[in-house]
Amino acid sequence: MSSDVIHATHVGEIEWSPGCELYLPLGLPGFEEERRMIPVEVPAQRPLVFLQSLDTEATCFVSLPVRTIWDEFRLRLSEEERLTLLLEPDQLSIGADVLCLVLLVPFQNTVQANLDAPIVINMHNRRCIQAMSSEAVAGYFRLADGGAWVGPC
Amino acid sequence: MLVLRRRVGEAIVLAGGIEIEVVEISRTRVKLGVRAPRNISVTRREALALAAENRQASDLIGHRGQQGVGDLLRLLQNLSDDPTKVAPGNADM
Repeated sequence: MSSDVIHATHVGEIEWSPGCELYLPLGLPGFEEERRMIPVEVPAQRPLVFLQSLDTEATCFVSLPVRTIWDEFRLRLSEEERLTLLLEPDQLSIGADVLCLVLLVPFQNTVQANLDAPIVINMHNRRCIQAMSSEAVAGYFRLADGGAWVGPC
Repeated sequence: MLVLRRRVGEAIVLAGGIEIEVVEISRTRVKLGVRAPRNISVTRREALALAAENRQASDLIGHRGQQGVGDLLRLLQNLSDDPTKVAPGNADM
């Protein structure tokens, strides 16, 4: 398979193949023009997953698999979100059908994560959206001293 | 707040050029259709808050660079913050 190289501003040179690419038909809120991203793992920085834009070298998010924060997390998608991902109603199994990441947001001297707005990736076609709940369900989790996540905040 | 009663198929018009039509009503939801000039951004209210949050999220590495990630890793169980290799794709998520 052919590969390509992006000189990402923050995570350096990344060689990637088209099979790694995520397609975001709607972009992300605030980043609507960013339609292509790749998930990048730095071995020494696991379990962090960097979401690097392939459209803008300087755009990169730091994320974590949602169940590393809260293992009881349950995915809820609206019908519109499911249709955007081209998922069938019975294809919502995390790990089998979809991957769920949450973006880490700076908060004072730590970070927090909004578990009501996970990045959802259809593993069957690599389409990706940020799910958006109009009501708080899981809420915000905050990283406390010692590496524990505290939530909902 | 101005409150208007509308039925399915009926619409309201904003500023003479933006039309919002009630397309479908279910027990708990209303489906709206919007006709607006291309330069008008139409966004769900919760997306506005999320956009601000996402911009902050991009700052975690954008403004703080690897130092910010290193600080984060120290919080996350004192892992190494000195990456020597970058591996793309197929992350174990």
